[in-house]
Amino acid sequence: MVPILLEGVAKSFLSREGDRVVAVEDVSLAVSAGTICCLVGPTGCGKSTILRMAAGFEEPDRGRVLAPRANDGARESPVGLLTQQHTLFPWLTTLENVALPLRIRGEAAAAAHGRCRPILDSLGLGDSADRYPYELSGGMQQRAAMGRLLASSARCWLLDEPFNALDERTRQRLQDLLVELASARALAVLFVTHAIDEAVYLADRVHVLSAAPGRVVATLDLPEGRPRDRLSASFSGHLESIRRTLEEAIR
Amino acid sequence: MSAAAGPGSRRADRAVGGWLLGAVIPSLVLAAWWLAARSGSAVVPTFGEVWDVLSHPLREPPDLQSPSLAFSVAITLARFAIGFSLAVVTAVPLGIAAARSPVLERLLHPMVELARPINPVVLLPLLTVLLGLTSPATILFGQRAAWRHAVLDQMPLAMLLILWYGAFFPIYLAALYGVRSIRTSRLETLHLLGAGSLQELRWLLLPHALPAIANGMRIALGVTWLVIIAAELFPGTRSGLGYMLCTACKTSEYEYTFAAMILIGVIGLLTNGALRRFERAVGHWQAAER
Repeated sequence: MVPILLEGVAKSFLSREGDRVVAVEDVSLAVSAGTICCLVGPTGCGKSTILRMAAGFEEPDRGRVLAPRANDGARESPVGLLTQQHTLFPWLTTLENVALPLRIRGEAAAAAHGRCRPILDSLGLGDSADRYPYELSGGMQQRAAMGRLLASSARCWLLDEPFNALDERTRQRLQDLLVELASARALAVLFVTHAIDEAVYLADRVHVLSAAPGRVVATLDLPEGRPRDRLSASFSGHLESIRRTLEEAIR
Repeated sequence: MSAAAGPGSRRADRAVGGWLLGAVIPSLVLAAWWLAARSGSAVVPTFGEVWDVLSHPLREPPDLQSPSLAFSVAITLARFAIGFSLAVVTAVPLGIAAARSPVLERLLHPMVELARPINPVVLLPLLTVLLGLTSPATILFGQRAAWRHAVLDQMPLAMLLILWYGAFFPIYLAALYGVRSIRTSRLETLHLLGAGSLQELRWLLLPHALPAIANGMRIALGVTWLVIIAAELFPGTRSGLGYMLCTACKTSEYEYTFAAMILIGVIGLLTNGALRRFERAVGHWQAAER
Protein backbone atom coordinates (compact mmCIF):
# COMPACT_ATOMS: atom_id res chain seq x y z
CA MET A 1 0.00 0.00 0.00
CA VAL A 2 1.27 3.44 -0.89
CA PRO A 3 0.28 6.15 1.64
CA ILE A 4 1.03 9.15 -0.59
CA LEU A 5 0.30 8.88 -4.29
CA LEU A 6 -0.02 11.62 -6.89
CA GLU A 7 -0.74 10.60 -10.49
CA GLY A 8 -0.17 13.09 -13.27
CA VAL A 9 -1.47 16.05 -11.26
CA ALA A 10 -1.55 19.52 -12.75
CA LYS A 11 -2.65 22.79 -11.22
CA SER A 12 -2.98 26.31 -12.53
CA PHE A 13 -4.13 29.53 -10.93
CA LEU A 14 -5.57 32.78 -12.22
CA SER A 15 -3.19 35.66 -11.71
CA ARG A 16 -4.44 39.04 -10.58
CA GLU A 17 -4.39 40.21 -14.19
CA GLY A 18 -6.67 37.29 -15.08
CA ASP A 19 -4.00 35.23 -16.85
CA ARG A 20 -3.84 31.51 -16.26
CA VAL A 21 -0.54 30.59 -14.60
CA VAL A 22 0.44 26.93 -14.61
CA ALA A 23 2.03 26.12 -11.26
CA VAL A 24 2.36 22.36 -11.57
CA GLU A 25 2.39 20.37 -14.80
CA ASP A 26 2.09 16.60 -14.77
CA VAL A 27 3.70 15.45 -11.52
CA SER A 28 3.53 11.84 -10.38
CA LEU A 29 5.08 10.56 -7.20
CA ALA A 30 4.63 7.85 -4.62
CA VAL A 31 5.92 7.68 -1.06
CA SER A 32 5.64 4.42 0.84
CA ALA A 33 5.60 3.94 4.59
CA GLY A 34 8.94 4.24 6.35
CA THR A 35 10.56 6.27 3.59
CA ILE A 36 11.40 9.92 2.99
CA CYS A 37 10.86 11.51 -0.39
CA CYS A 38 12.35 14.94 -1.05
CA LEU A 39 11.26 17.49 -3.61
CA VAL A 40 13.97 19.93 -4.61
CA GLY A 41 13.61 22.68 -7.13
CA PRO A 42 14.04 26.38 -7.74
CA THR A 43 11.79 28.94 -6.05
CA GLY A 44 8.33 29.04 -7.59
CA CYS A 45 8.43 25.52 -9.02
CA GLY A 46 5.12 24.60 -7.39
CA LYS A 47 6.58 22.58 -4.50
CA SER A 48 4.16 24.02 -1.98
CA THR A 49 1.24 23.57 -4.39
CA ILE A 50 2.12 19.87 -4.64
CA LEU A 51 2.07 19.60 -0.84
CA ARG A 52 -1.24 21.42 -0.62
CA MET A 53 -2.76 19.04 -3.15
CA ALA A 54 -1.39 16.05 -1.22
CA ALA A 55 -2.95 17.49 1.96
CA GLY A 56 -6.29 17.89 0.20
CA PHE A 57 -6.39 21.69 0.48
CA GLU A 58 -6.25 22.12 -3.30
CA GLU A 59 -7.97 20.04 -5.97
CA PRO A 60 -5.77 19.21 -8.98
CA ASP A 61 -7.08 20.38 -12.38
CA ARG A 62 -5.93 17.11 -13.91
CA GLY A 63 -4.68 13.80 -12.55
CA ARG A 64 -5.58 12.44 -9.15
CA VAL A 65 -4.41 12.42 -5.59
CA LEU A 66 -4.96 9.12 -3.88
CA ALA A 67 -5.82 10.51 -0.50
CA PRO A 68 -4.82 8.29 2.37
CA ARG A 69 -7.90 7.24 4.28
CA ALA A 70 -8.45 7.66 8.00
CA ASN A 71 -9.22 4.46 9.88
CA ASP A 72 -12.55 3.74 11.58
CA GLY A 73 -14.28 6.65 9.87
CA ALA A 74 -12.37 9.09 12.10
CA ARG A 75 -12.57 12.70 11.06
CA GLU A 76 -8.91 13.22 11.84
CA SER A 77 -6.82 13.23 8.70
CA PRO A 78 -3.97 10.73 8.34
CA VAL A 79 -2.04 13.62 6.82
CA GLY A 80 0.00 15.93 9.01
CA LEU A 81 1.41 19.21 7.79
CA LEU A 82 4.41 21.12 9.07
CA THR A 83 5.42 24.30 7.28
CA GLN A 84 6.67 27.67 8.36
CA GLN A 85 3.01 28.70 8.72
CA HIS A 86 1.51 25.55 10.18
CA THR A 87 3.15 26.08 13.52
CA LEU A 88 2.23 25.99 17.19
CA PHE A 89 -0.68 27.95 18.66
CA PRO A 90 0.93 30.79 20.63
CA TRP A 91 -1.74 30.88 23.36
CA LEU A 92 -1.15 27.24 24.34
CA THR A 93 1.84 25.92 26.28
CA THR A 94 4.17 23.41 24.67
CA LEU A 95 2.39 20.53 26.37
CA GLU A 96 -1.06 21.84 25.44
CA ASN A 97 0.06 22.24 21.83
CA VAL A 98 1.36 18.69 21.63
CA ALA A 99 -1.76 17.35 23.34
CA LEU A 100 -4.09 19.26 20.98
CA PRO A 101 -4.82 16.26 18.68
CA LEU A 102 -5.92 14.19 21.69
CA ARG A 103 -8.01 17.03 23.13
CA ILE A 104 -9.79 17.44 19.79
CA ARG A 105 -10.47 13.70 19.80
CA GLY A 106 -12.28 14.37 23.08
CA GLU A 107 -9.77 13.24 25.68
CA ALA A 108 -9.81 15.03 29.03
CA ALA A 109 -6.94 17.41 29.73
CA ALA A 110 -5.31 15.32 32.46
CA ALA A 111 -5.30 12.10 30.43
CA ALA A 112 -4.13 13.79 27.24
CA HIS A 113 -1.34 15.65 29.02
CA GLY A 114 -0.25 12.47 30.78
CA ARG A 115 0.02 10.66 27.47
CA CYS A 116 1.94 13.49 25.83
CA ARG A 117 4.61 14.00 28.49
CA PRO A 118 6.63 11.00 27.23
CA ILE A 119 6.54 12.49 23.71
CA LEU A 120 7.96 15.75 25.06
CA ASP A 121 10.61 13.84 27.01
CA SER A 122 11.62 11.86 23.94
CA LEU A 123 12.04 15.14 22.04
CA GLY A 124 14.10 16.66 24.84
CA LEU A 125 11.35 19.15 25.67
CA GLY A 126 10.42 17.76 29.10
CA ASP A 127 11.56 20.90 30.90
CA SER A 128 9.69 23.19 28.52
CA ALA A 129 6.25 21.60 28.91
CA ASP A 130 4.71 24.63 30.58
CA ARG A 131 6.42 27.27 28.52
CA TYR A 132 4.76 29.14 25.69
CA PRO A 133 6.07 28.89 22.11
CA TYR A 134 7.48 32.41 22.21
CA GLU A 135 9.64 31.34 25.14
CA LEU A 136 11.25 28.57 23.07
CA SER A 137 14.06 28.73 20.53
CA GLY A 138 13.23 28.14 16.85
CA GLY A 139 14.56 24.58 17.00
CA MET A 140 12.53 23.76 20.09
CA GLN A 141 9.40 25.18 18.42
CA GLN A 142 9.86 22.93 15.39
CA ARG A 143 10.53 19.94 17.64
CA ALA A 144 7.32 20.68 19.54
CA ALA A 145 5.45 20.96 16.23
CA MET A 146 6.80 17.50 15.34
CA GLY A 147 5.58 16.36 18.76
CA ARG A 148 2.08 17.51 17.79
CA LEU A 149 2.33 15.41 14.61
CA LEU A 150 3.49 12.45 16.71
CA ALA A 151 0.52 12.81 19.06
CA SER A 152 -1.85 12.94 16.08
CA SER A 153 -2.70 9.84 14.12
CA ALA A 154 -1.04 11.28 11.00
CA ARG A 155 1.22 8.74 9.34
CA CYS A 156 1.82 10.77 6.19
CA TRP A 157 3.90 13.79 7.00
CA LEU A 158 4.08 16.69 4.56
CA LEU A 159 6.92 19.01 5.47
CA ASP A 160 7.61 22.29 3.67
CA GLU A 161 11.08 23.63 4.43
CA PRO A 162 10.50 23.11 8.15
CA PHE A 163 14.13 23.55 9.21
CA ASN A 164 14.90 26.60 7.12
CA ALA A 165 15.07 29.20 9.84
CA LEU A 166 17.35 27.10 12.05
CA ASP A 167 21.09 27.20 12.58
CA GLU A 168 23.18 24.44 11.02
CA ARG A 169 23.70 22.35 14.17
CA THR A 170 20.04 22.41 15.21
CA ARG A 171 19.01 21.65 11.66
CA GLN A 172 21.25 18.55 11.56
CA ARG A 173 19.91 17.29 14.86
CA LEU A 174 16.33 17.65 13.65
CA GLN A 175 17.20 15.91 10.39
CA ASP A 176 18.54 12.95 12.40
CA LEU A 177 15.37 12.98 14.50
CA LEU A 178 13.20 12.91 11.37
CA VAL A 179 15.15 10.00 9.84
CA GLU A 180 14.78 8.07 13.08
CA LEU A 181 11.05 8.78 13.41
CA ALA A 182 10.31 7.90 9.80
CA SER A 183 11.71 4.40 10.15
CA ALA A 184 10.63 3.79 13.77
CA ARG A 185 7.03 4.81 13.11
CA ALA A 186 6.73 3.78 9.47
CA LEU A 187 5.94 7.32 8.39
CA ALA A 188 5.60 8.29 4.76
CA VAL A 189 7.38 11.65 4.57
CA LEU A 190 7.16 14.07 1.68
CA PHE A 191 9.76 16.75 2.33
CA VAL A 192 10.09 19.95 0.33
CA THR A 193 13.40 21.76 0.46
CA HIS A 194 15.63 23.92 -1.67
CA ALA A 195 18.77 22.76 0.16
CA ILE A 196 20.28 19.96 -1.92
CA ASP A 197 22.49 18.65 0.90
CA GLU A 198 19.42 18.33 3.13
CA ALA A 199 17.69 16.27 0.44
CA VAL A 200 20.70 13.99 -0.06
CA TYR A 201 21.04 13.50 3.69
CA LEU A 202 17.36 12.72 4.33
CA ALA A 203 15.85 11.14 1.28
CA ASP A 204 15.37 7.62 0.02
CA ARG A 205 14.29 9.24 -3.21
CA VAL A 206 14.79 12.76 -4.56
CA HIS A 207 12.61 14.32 -7.24
CA VAL A 208 14.12 17.32 -8.97
CA LEU A 209 11.55 19.80 -10.24
CA SER A 210 11.95 22.31 -13.05
CA ALA A 211 11.24 26.02 -12.75
CA ALA A 212 7.58 27.03 -13.27
CA PRO A 213 5.59 25.20 -14.42
CA GLY A 214 6.80 22.47 -12.08
CA ARG A 215 7.59 19.10 -13.67
CA VAL A 216 9.74 16.27 -12.39
CA VAL A 217 12.89 16.45 -14.51
CA ALA A 218 14.93 13.82 -12.66
CA THR A 219 14.45 11.20 -10.01
CA LEU A 220 17.29 9.87 -7.93
CA ASP A 221 17.19 6.83 -5.64
CA LEU A 222 19.66 6.91 -2.78
CA PRO A 223 20.39 3.37 -1.63
CA GLU A 224 22.91 4.28 1.09
CA GLY A 225 22.18 3.22 4.65
CA ARG A 226 21.94 5.61 7.58
CA PRO A 227 23.30 7.64 9.19
CA ARG A 228 24.81 9.06 6.06
CA ASP A 229 28.31 10.45 5.96
CA ARG A 230 28.19 14.01 4.62
CA LEU A 231 31.89 13.82 3.83
CA SER A 232 31.79 10.59 1.81
CA ALA A 233 32.51 10.49 -1.91
CA SER A 234 29.09 9.11 -2.81
CA PHE A 235 27.39 11.92 -0.83
CA SER A 236 29.19 14.62 -2.79
CA GLY A 237 28.58 12.63 -5.97
CA HIS A 238 24.81 12.75 -5.44
CA LEU A 239 25.04 16.40 -4.44
CA GLU A 240 26.89 17.21 -7.66
CA SER A 241 24.53 15.30 -9.94
CA ILE A 242 21.44 16.96 -8.43
CA ARG A 243 23.07 20.36 -8.66
CA ARG A 244 23.83 19.78 -12.33
CA THR A 245 20.29 18.62 -13.04
CA LEU A 246 18.91 21.70 -11.31
CA GLU A 247 21.20 24.02 -13.28
CA GLU A 248 19.91 22.50 -16.51
CA ALA A 249 16.32 22.70 -15.32
CA ILE A 250 16.66 26.40 -14.56
CA ARG A 251 18.31 27.08 -17.89
CA MET B 1 27.06 54.55 46.31
CA SER B 2 28.15 50.93 45.95
CA ALA B 3 26.74 47.87 44.15
CA ALA B 4 23.26 48.55 45.53
CA ALA B 5 22.85 51.52 43.17
CA GLY B 6 22.69 49.26 40.09
CA PRO B 7 20.26 49.26 37.17
CA GLY B 8 17.43 48.01 39.44
CA SER B 9 17.44 51.07 41.60
CA ARG B 10 17.75 53.26 38.54
CA ARG B 11 14.59 51.65 37.20
CA ALA B 12 12.90 52.31 40.54
CA ASP B 13 14.05 55.94 40.34
CA ARG B 14 12.50 56.24 36.91
CA ALA B 15 9.22 54.72 38.16
CA VAL B 16 9.08 57.21 41.03
CA GLY B 17 9.96 60.01 38.61
CA GLY B 18 7.14 58.98 36.27
CA TRP B 19 4.71 58.82 39.15
CA LEU B 20 5.71 62.28 40.36
CA LEU B 21 5.35 63.69 36.87
CA GLY B 22 1.87 62.18 36.60
CA ALA B 23 0.90 63.80 39.91
CA VAL B 24 1.71 67.36 38.76
CA ILE B 25 -1.54 68.24 37.00
CA PRO B 26 -3.88 66.59 39.56
CA SER B 27 -2.03 68.57 42.26
CA LEU B 28 -2.58 71.79 40.33
CA VAL B 29 -6.28 70.98 40.00
CA LEU B 30 -6.50 70.35 43.74
CA ALA B 31 -4.65 73.58 44.44
CA ALA B 32 -7.04 75.52 42.23
CA TRP B 33 -9.98 73.90 43.99
CA TRP B 34 -8.50 74.79 47.38
CA LEU B 35 -7.89 78.41 46.36
CA ALA B 36 -11.40 78.72 44.92
CA ALA B 37 -12.93 77.33 48.11
CA ARG B 38 -10.80 79.69 50.28
CA SER B 39 -11.83 82.74 48.30
CA GLY B 40 -15.35 82.14 49.58
CA SER B 41 -16.95 80.89 46.35
CA ALA B 42 -20.62 80.04 46.73
CA VAL B 43 -20.29 77.11 44.34
CA VAL B 44 -17.00 75.44 45.23
CA PRO B 45 -17.21 73.53 48.53
CA THR B 46 -14.21 73.00 50.83
CA PHE B 47 -12.27 69.71 50.99
CA GLY B 48 -13.79 69.12 54.40
CA GLU B 49 -17.39 69.40 53.18
CA VAL B 50 -16.79 66.95 50.33
CA TRP B 51 -14.90 64.59 52.60
CA ASP B 52 -17.84 64.67 54.99
CA VAL B 53 -20.11 63.45 52.18
CA LEU B 54 -17.67 60.79 50.98
CA SER B 55 -17.00 59.44 54.47
CA HIS B 56 -20.72 58.98 55.27
CA PRO B 57 -21.89 57.00 52.25
CA LEU B 58 -24.94 55.50 53.98
CA ARG B 59 -26.38 58.83 55.18
CA GLU B 60 -29.57 59.95 53.46
CA PRO B 61 -28.75 63.46 52.20
CA PRO B 62 -30.78 65.73 54.51
CA ASP B 63 -31.48 68.53 52.02
CA LEU B 64 -31.48 66.52 48.85
CA GLN B 65 -34.19 64.48 47.09
CA SER B 66 -31.85 61.57 46.53
CA PRO B 67 -31.06 58.20 48.10
CA SER B 68 -27.76 57.80 49.97
CA LEU B 69 -24.43 58.04 48.21
CA ALA B 70 -23.81 54.29 48.59
CA PHE B 71 -27.22 53.45 47.07
CA SER B 72 -26.57 55.89 44.22
CA VAL B 73 -23.24 54.26 43.44
CA ALA B 74 -24.75 50.77 43.69
CA ILE B 75 -27.70 51.55 41.41
CA THR B 76 -25.48 53.22 38.80
CA LEU B 77 -23.07 50.27 38.89
CA ALA B 78 -25.95 47.80 38.62
CA ARG B 79 -27.42 49.54 35.53
CA PHE B 80 -23.96 49.75 34.06
CA ALA B 81 -23.23 46.06 34.71
CA ILE B 82 -26.53 44.89 33.22
CA GLY B 83 -26.26 47.03 30.08
CA PHE B 84 -22.62 46.15 29.57
CA SER B 85 -23.14 42.42 30.13
CA LEU B 86 -26.05 42.37 27.69
CA ALA B 87 -23.75 43.93 25.12
CA VAL B 88 -20.99 41.37 25.76
CA VAL B 89 -23.27 38.35 25.48
CA THR B 90 -24.86 39.60 22.26
CA ALA B 91 -21.92 41.29 20.53
CA VAL B 92 -19.30 38.55 20.99
CA PRO B 93 -21.32 35.68 19.45
CA LEU B 94 -22.65 37.92 16.67
CA GLY B 95 -19.20 39.29 15.87
CA ILE B 96 -17.68 35.81 15.71
CA ALA B 97 -20.59 34.49 13.63
CA ALA B 98 -20.34 37.43 11.24
CA ALA B 99 -16.61 36.86 10.80
CA ARG B 100 -17.29 33.26 9.77
CA SER B 101 -20.37 33.95 7.63
CA PRO B 102 -20.11 36.47 4.79
CA VAL B 103 -23.91 36.43 4.40
CA LEU B 104 -24.50 37.46 8.01
CA GLU B 105 -21.77 40.08 7.80
CA ARG B 106 -23.33 41.59 4.66
CA LEU B 107 -26.70 41.57 6.37
CA LEU B 108 -25.46 43.40 9.47
CA HIS B 109 -22.86 45.73 7.95
CA PRO B 110 -25.08 48.59 6.68
CA MET B 111 -27.08 48.73 9.90
CA VAL B 112 -23.93 48.66 12.03
CA GLU B 113 -22.28 51.46 10.06
CA LEU B 114 -25.48 53.52 10.13
CA ALA B 115 -26.22 53.06 13.81
CA ARG B 116 -22.69 53.25 15.17
CA PRO B 117 -22.18 57.02 14.89
CA ILE B 118 -25.46 57.81 16.67
CA ASN B 119 -24.81 58.93 20.22
CA PRO B 120 -26.80 56.53 22.37
CA VAL B 121 -27.92 59.33 24.72
CA VAL B 122 -29.96 60.98 21.94
CA LEU B 123 -32.04 57.81 21.73
CA LEU B 124 -33.08 58.09 25.35
CA PRO B 125 -35.97 60.60 25.03
CA LEU B 126 -37.49 58.60 22.18
CA LEU B 127 -37.09 55.29 23.98
CA THR B 128 -38.55 56.78 27.16
CA VAL B 129 -41.62 57.84 25.19
CA LEU B 130 -41.88 54.40 23.60
CA LEU B 131 -41.25 52.31 26.67
CA GLY B 132 -42.46 54.65 29.40
CA LEU B 133 -41.23 53.58 32.79
CA THR B 134 -41.14 49.92 31.86
CA SER B 135 -38.57 48.19 34.04
CA PRO B 136 -37.82 44.59 34.98
CA ALA B 137 -40.06 45.22 38.02
CA THR B 138 -43.08 46.27 35.94
CA ILE B 139 -42.55 43.31 33.63
CA LEU B 140 -42.17 40.77 36.43
CA PHE B 141 -44.61 42.12 39.01
CA GLY B 142 -46.96 44.42 37.06
CA GLN B 143 -47.32 48.22 37.03
CA ARG B 144 -49.03 48.46 40.42
CA ALA B 145 -46.65 46.35 42.48
CA ALA B 146 -43.47 47.52 40.80
CA TRP B 147 -42.66 50.20 43.38
CA ARG B 148 -42.20 47.50 46.04
CA HIS B 149 -39.11 46.23 44.21
CA ALA B 150 -37.07 49.40 44.50
CA VAL B 151 -33.88 48.20 42.81
CA LEU B 152 -35.53 46.48 39.85
CA ASP B 153 -37.91 49.41 39.46
CA GLN B 154 -34.92 51.74 39.15
CA MET B 155 -33.74 49.95 36.00
CA PRO B 156 -35.80 51.55 33.23
CA LEU B 157 -35.60 49.45 30.09
CA ALA B 158 -34.98 52.54 28.01
CA MET B 159 -31.81 53.21 29.98
CA LEU B 160 -30.59 49.61 29.81
CA LEU B 161 -31.18 49.62 26.07
CA ILE B 162 -29.03 52.67 25.40
CA LEU B 163 -26.27 51.24 27.58
CA TRP B 164 -26.41 48.07 25.50
CA TYR B 165 -26.42 50.22 22.38
CA GLY B 166 -23.34 52.17 23.45
CA ALA B 167 -21.33 49.07 24.34
CA PHE B 168 -22.46 46.79 21.51
CA PHE B 169 -20.59 48.24 18.53
CA PRO B 170 -17.02 48.39 19.87
CA ILE B 171 -17.31 44.80 21.13
CA TYR B 172 -19.01 43.52 17.96
CA LEU B 173 -16.36 45.05 15.71
CA ALA B 174 -13.53 43.79 17.94
CA ALA B 175 -14.87 40.22 17.82
CA LEU B 176 -15.38 40.50 14.04
CA TYR B 177 -11.85 41.69 13.30
CA GLY B 178 -10.32 39.49 15.99
CA VAL B 179 -11.64 36.37 14.27
CA ARG B 180 -11.10 37.68 10.77
CA SER B 181 -7.38 38.16 11.35
CA ILE B 182 -6.85 34.44 11.98
CA ARG B 183 -4.38 32.92 9.55
CA THR B 184 -5.80 30.28 7.21
CA SER B 185 -2.93 27.97 8.12
CA ARG B 186 -4.20 27.80 11.71
CA LEU B 187 -7.65 26.74 10.51
CA GLU B 188 -6.04 24.17 8.22
CA THR B 189 -4.07 22.71 11.13
CA LEU B 190 -7.31 22.27 13.09
CA HIS B 191 -9.18 20.77 10.12
CA LEU B 192 -6.45 18.16 9.60
CA LEU B 193 -6.89 17.24 13.26
CA GLY B 194 -10.59 16.69 12.59
CA ALA B 195 -11.91 19.64 14.60
CA GLY B 196 -15.61 20.49 14.22
CA SER B 197 -16.99 24.00 14.48
CA LEU B 198 -17.38 23.91 18.28
CA GLN B 199 -13.80 22.78 18.68
CA GLU B 200 -12.73 25.46 16.22
CA LEU B 201 -14.39 27.99 18.49
CA ARG B 202 -12.82 26.52 21.62
CA TRP B 203 -9.26 26.06 20.37
CA LEU B 204 -8.82 28.80 17.79
CA LEU B 205 -11.51 31.46 17.31
CA LEU B 206 -12.02 32.44 20.96
CA PRO B 207 -8.39 32.34 22.15
CA HIS B 208 -7.23 34.20 19.05
CA ALA B 209 -9.94 36.87 19.23
CA LEU B 210 -9.93 37.30 23.00
CA PRO B 211 -7.22 40.01 23.20
CA ALA B 212 -9.08 42.04 20.55
CA ILE B 213 -12.41 41.46 22.33
CA ALA B 214 -10.87 42.57 25.64
CA ASN B 215 -9.67 45.74 23.94
CA GLY B 216 -13.13 46.31 22.46
CA MET B 217 -14.64 45.78 25.91
CA ARG B 218 -12.34 48.41 27.37
CA ILE B 219 -13.41 50.93 24.73
CA ALA B 220 -17.05 49.96 25.29
CA LEU B 221 -16.59 50.38 29.01
CA GLY B 222 -15.49 53.98 28.54
CA VAL B 223 -18.48 54.69 26.30
CA THR B 224 -20.97 53.00 28.64
CA TRP B 225 -19.67 54.86 31.67
CA LEU B 226 -20.15 58.20 29.88
CA VAL B 227 -23.61 57.14 28.69
CA ILE B 228 -24.93 55.95 32.06
CA ILE B 229 -24.02 59.17 33.85
CA ALA B 230 -25.51 61.26 31.03
CA ALA B 231 -28.66 59.11 30.97
CA GLU B 232 -29.17 59.62 34.69
CA LEU B 233 -29.28 63.39 34.17
CA PHE B 234 -32.51 63.01 32.18
CA PRO B 235 -35.92 63.46 33.78
CA GLY B 236 -37.66 60.26 34.79
CA THR B 237 -34.79 58.99 36.91
CA ARG B 238 -34.91 59.15 40.69
CA SER B 239 -31.56 57.64 41.63
CA GLY B 240 -27.96 57.11 40.58
CA LEU B 241 -24.74 59.09 40.65
CA GLY B 242 -25.73 61.20 37.65
CA TYR B 243 -29.10 61.98 39.21
CA MET B 244 -27.47 62.92 42.53
CA LEU B 245 -24.95 65.17 40.81
CA CYS B 246 -27.63 66.96 38.81
CA THR B 247 -30.13 67.33 41.65
CA ALA B 248 -27.44 68.61 43.99
CA CYS B 249 -26.54 71.28 41.44
CA LYS B 250 -30.18 72.38 41.17
CA THR B 251 -30.51 72.73 44.93
CA SER B 252 -27.03 74.24 45.44
CA GLU B 253 -25.75 71.28 47.51
CA TYR B 254 -22.47 71.43 45.65
CA GLU B 255 -20.55 69.15 48.02
CA TYR B 256 -22.70 66.28 46.66
CA THR B 257 -21.96 67.31 43.07
CA PHE B 258 -18.25 67.25 43.81
CA ALA B 259 -18.41 63.95 45.68
CA ALA B 260 -20.31 62.35 42.78
CA MET B 261 -17.84 63.71 40.22
CA ILE B 262 -14.91 62.32 42.20
CA LEU B 263 -16.54 58.90 42.44
CA ILE B 264 -17.36 58.88 38.73
CA GLY B 265 -13.70 59.52 37.96
CA VAL B 266 -12.39 56.96 40.44
CA ILE B 267 -14.77 54.19 39.33
CA GLY B 268 -13.95 54.88 35.67
CA LEU B 269 -10.25 54.68 36.49
CA LEU B 270 -10.57 51.43 38.43
CA THR B 271 -12.76 49.61 35.88
CA ASN B 272 -10.49 50.70 33.06
CA GLY B 273 -7.46 49.45 34.99
CA ALA B 274 -9.09 46.10 35.70
CA LEU B 275 -9.95 45.57 32.03
CA ARG B 276 -6.47 46.65 30.99
CA ARG B 277 -5.03 43.91 33.21
CA PHE B 278 -7.45 41.39 31.71
CA GLU B 279 -6.42 42.53 28.23
CA ARG B 280 -2.75 42.00 29.06
CA ALA B 281 -3.38 38.59 30.62
CA VAL B 282 -5.28 37.19 27.63
CA GLY B 283 -2.93 38.81 25.13
CA HIS B 284 0.38 37.74 26.65
CA TRP B 285 1.31 35.87 23.48
CA GLN B 286 0.61 38.72 21.08
CA ALA B 287 3.86 40.66 21.33
CA ALA B 288 5.70 37.64 19.90
CA GLU B 289 3.22 37.36 17.00
CA ARG B 290 4.00 40.71 15.46
